[in-house]
Amino acid sequence: MNPVYDHIIAILVVGAIFVWAVALMPNVNLVNLKTVEQQQDRNIALNVFNNMLLDTGYPQDWGSCMIDFNSSAVKRFGLASASESSLYKLDPDKVQRLNKNNPLGYLKYDEARALLNLTDYEFCLRIIPPFNVTNENGTKIDDTHTPLIFADPPTNSVLRYTIKVTYLDGSPIPNALVEGYVFYSKNKDFDLRPVQNTTTNALGICSEQMTLTLQNPDYVIVVLKITVAEVATILLTMGKDASIYVADINMVGDTIILTKAKNPSNEDVKINEVYVYTSNGTLFSLYNGTNQDHFNTGSGQHMLWDKTFDGLKYRDPVALIFDFEAVTDRRREVIVAGPYRDILSYNIFDYGGNIGNAKSAVKIQRSVAIAGLIYTAELWLWKGYS
Amino acid sequence: MRVIETILAVIIIVIAFSFTNIMATSPKSPSYEPSDLERLGYDALYNLDRQEILAKFVYSSNFSLLKSALMVCLPTDVNFNLTIFDVDKDGKLQKEGSITYGDNTLFETSNFVSTVTYILAGSGTEYDPRILVLMLVRR
Repeated sequence: MNPVYDHIIAILVVGAIFVWAVALMPNVNLVNLKTVEQQQDRNIALNVFNNMLLDTGYPQDWGSCMIDFNSSAVKRFGLASASESSLYKLDPDKVQRLNKNNPLGYLKYDEARALLNLTDYEFCLRIIPPFNVTNENGTKIDDTHTPLIFADPPTNSVLRYTIKVTYLDGSPIPNALVEGYVFYSKNKDFDLRPVQNTTTNALGICSEQMTLTLQNPDYVIVVLKITVAEVATILLTMGKDASIYVADINMVGDTIILTKAKNPSNEDVKINEVYVYTSNGTLFSLYNGTNQDHFNTGSGQHMLWDKTFDGLKYRDPVALIFDFEAVTDRRREVIVAGPYRDILSYNIFDYGGNIGNAKSAVKIQRSVAIAGLIYTAELWLWKGYS
Repeated sequence: MRVIETILAVIIIVIAFSFTNIMATSPKSPSYEPSDLERLGYDALYNLDRQEILAKFVYSSNFSLLKSALMVCLPTDVNFNLTIFDVDKDGKLQKEGSITYGDNTLFETSNFVSTVTYILAGSGTEYDPRILVLMLVRR
């Protein structure tokens, strides 16, 4: 054969094999590359989750060291409680700073991501209650779907609640213990009484009615503690949410702060009494208001009132109930509850990016305790930048 | 002749590349799963112990409530099998009870079963150890 043809054929063959190799070799490597990438993602997720749950962050009390939150003061991100030596116990003040509805400020998702050095990753932190508490028909309990109804209209002195308790997979939980308190007011009168203890039936449903001393109350708040095998969750529900025009209740460390309502009614408000419901189901009167404990809902600073009660946080309060005396054209009692309604309740709390945007994500779960209640913390981590 | 030489050279190179790819044994990603489940199981037992729930149910042999407590503390897609052992005077383990949530065959068929051993020293001030062996598997 002519050496020229021999060379040309050799070049063609080498060229063809080169093209084939370029096309095929990455596919041969792809499985290995994907495995390595998955491992890398898992390692990053594990490190990030450990930082979140086991590290206090810096400053150690960044959730409570400043009442009006300044996110630039946070130098390191971590949710662990600084006052507890046990692992996986989260600080409710820090968890609250992840809530974008917190009137005293919150840590933005992008800031948290920067503190965690997650420039090429997105994450979503979910805090999931141990079991579901819903309306009887399975709908989520909120301001428009309340489990409270009056059993004797139009007198409206017999209040009934009906709730359903299920495992997170939807199967009913029988024999869940339900206990709590009802707070109500009518014109100038206010009263509170314990709710009769009861348990859920085989379908996970429990219904109980209570007779109120005031007919046709203006405001009703029911705080229920639902316990399954000694593991509890708290349900705070009300007939009408008065906080939207009186004040929002906040707690930072041992300090209770009232902030301006979303729709202030320009009323002169006096604090009559403050009650605390704790995670172990006890209720106590925290404070009796004096003539000094006044504010106006329509004017003044964002922070309407604040007071520090030494040792309050240590007692694991999960609900604060305020009995206000509000005056516009007439004097009346208004009751408002808070502060953990968005986080430490029967709702799933989400912080971070939208999981729906992730093509593939790593998920890790841990059991954690917040303010004396057990939750499951779940971290989703995926590659991407929004 | 050069064509044959070239083809032979290329074949050797391709075989060398393929060989290194085949022989490169990176650990399978799912092998992380057992250690992750171990941590999850340990956290659940630890949190129940911290809340003084675990000892209460174990020492009163209230296994149905213990099962409910673990069910609410662990994610719904995790099946578990908890065996409780008492330690007798001779130091031998005596099985005191066992609870299972989910399909028992999963523990035999799954390649990724995690086992956590948790020790309770006693209830109150009395030394009366129990050894809890928690097996976990994801559905």
